[in-house]
Amino acid sequence: MSRKAPLGADLAIPVLALGFAAYFFWSIADLAWEAKANGVVIGTALIALVAIQLTRIAAQVAKGEGDLRADPLWQPREVLAKRLGMVLVTVGFIALLEILGLTLSLFAAMAAALVIMGVRKPSIVFWISFAVAAAAYVLFIALLDSAFPHGPIEKLLS
Amino acid sequence: MSWEFLAGQFAAQFGLWWVIWPGILLGIVVGILPGFSPQNTLIMLLPLTLAIPVEHAFAFMVSMYCANHLAGGVPAILVKIPGSGGAAATTLDGYPMTQKGQAQQAIVLSFTSSVFGGLITTLATLALLPWLSQLGLYLRSVEMVIVMLFGLTLIAVIAAKDTLKGLISGFFGLLIGVIGTDHIYNAPRATFGFLELYDGVPLVAALIGLFAVSEALVMIEEKLIVGAEGRDRAMRASWADTLEGLRMTVQYWWHIVWTSFVGLAIGIVPGAGASIAAFVAYQQSRLWSKHPERYGTGIPEGVIAPEAANNGVTSGTLVPMMALGVPGGTTAAVMMIVLQYHGMVMGPRLFTTNPELAYGVFVAMAVAYLFMLFTILPLARYMARIVLIETTYLAPIIILVTVVAAFAERQYLFDMGLALVFGVIGYVAHKTNYHVTAMLIGVILGPLFEQYLARALRISQGDLTVLFSSTIGNVLWGFLVLSLVLPAVKGYLKRTR
Repeated sequence: MSRKAPLGADLAIPVLALGFAAYFFWSIADLAWEAKANGVVIGTALIALVAIQLTRIAAQVAKGEGDLRADPLWQPREVLAKRLGMVLVTVGFIALLEILGLTLSLFAAMAAALVIMGVRKPSIVFWISFAVAAAAYVLFIALLDSAFPHGPIEKLLS
Repeated sequence: MSWEFLAGQFAAQFGLWWVIWPGILLGIVVGILPGFSPQNTLIMLLPLTLAIPVEHAFAFMVSMYCANHLAGGVPAILVKIPGSGGAAATTLDGYPMTQKGQAQQAIVLSFTSSVFGGLITTLATLALLPWLSQLGLYLRSVEMVIVMLFGLTLIAVIAAKDTLKGLISGFFGLLIGVIGTDHIYNAPRATFGFLELYDGVPLVAALIGLFAVSEALVMIEEKLIVGAEGRDRAMRASWADTLEGLRMTVQYWWHIVWTSFVGLAIGIVPGAGASIAAFVAYQQSRLWSKHPERYGTGIPEGVIAPEAANNGVTSGTLVPMMALGVPGGTTAAVMMIVLQYHGMVMGPRLFTTNPELAYGVFVAMAVAYLFMLFTILPLARYMARIVLIETTYLAPIIILVTVVAAFAERQYLFDMGLALVFGVIGYVAHKTNYHVTAMLIGVILGPLFEQYLARALRISQGDLTVLFSSTIGNVLWGFLVLSLVLPAVKGYLKRTR
């Protein structure tokens, strides 16, 4: 097993920041100076900081103290599936919200998330999902009357 | 202002307990839940506050505002999710205390520091109001830009293990905070073509993503958020732990006093707010400590400093509003709307034309803090039990419920997706030690920074040297450089000794 520091993971945020700064500069290229002054000042400082960090990482790699592995991002591997599953369930929840409404989509997403996390007892999955969805209904729909999409449950109870 | 007048005000405010108590309870709920801000709640309650007499409305609003600042520390301590930006610094030592099984003590410390910090600064404000109100006048746009950079630098130095990574996080957040249309030409910048970003990045979505979602994605690596020893301590938690928290409060009383004054001083600066105050107080606390290396490992001083300071801000924020007619923050702006609706004219004359209201606001604040102590302290024992819930259940609940809460600020489904995007960025930052707190504070400060920098540059016709043109500003630059250099020098001296 390599004892070198996995510095590839350390590149993720600087690369993201650099990409975003480049996009920011592109988006303000044609604007008046008043509109782009802030972006230029902050973006330039950010790029300078990222350049220092990249130089530091390059020096560490050159000295053999680290390599470009990005292991910390997906370790421990045994929870990687759960982690990806949680993100996908959330994406699905937001996508289904318009069709199913808040209560039903939250119930379904919570049940799916609990199963992904390893809860196997159907009664526990059901009651936790039910409690969370019911609380969300009471708070956001019944009390606050917020603009969440209404689905079959909300229409039934209205 | 005579003692008789003050005593009469206290008696009158105690008589408003029936308004203050609901305000406190609502403020606690709003403070604990990320996504619910006091300003949004006050806006929703405008029909109520506009309909009742102005003294009652103000007692209610002030109680809710103070309780909100107090309660934001609870989720910060228990699950590392600050209820508001002002509680972000509380996670630094509050959460490690929880992991050590001292959640109850940390919560009690947070409550008592908040209450006494708020109470002390409120009484000080009452005594020093005419002079304090002048302080904010000395800080113009140039100085405000430097104050913000100073705050961001402090956060990078304090919160991150690696200052460079902290600075990258902070400036990345600051650039994200500038997304949206500019103030002069309304030209969209870096909006990725989304109309929902024209108003800027919603702070609640950023807060929820960077803290709640990312933390939940990390916490699933362990069965519980506390270790084995911490679990045993949490299971044995009793009233003795509450008393232990109270004992710590007495032990560190001086710490509460001076860090709350840091909050008051920063609160008076319009726009600076609780998040900067909490970090500056934390940094000062660490700077003057005999054991700075223990900060971040779960020590009482690390909870006291940000909590006393972010409640010290509450009275400070109202000073420029009452004395100058300049609201110190969004919540103060909403309060000002209510006052103006009732025909009150803010400014120095308010203290002579309507002293009952001008001073009564601060007396109401003091009374609310007293009520809060007895309302919330007994709850600490039960709140601390949350750490015993397995992450198998806790993580899905945190992710899905907070993503739902991201909708609350602007009522856009887009914000829920944005919270998830911030969650993934926050997760990567967590795993690689790019501090999410610095990033969040950058996002919070972005719009304000833009406003002040644009103003300063317009005055100077685009000449950046304007940032070095004022004496106060140059002194602040000096402090900024010192805050970057001092820790390195201190570390070097320690190593060579």
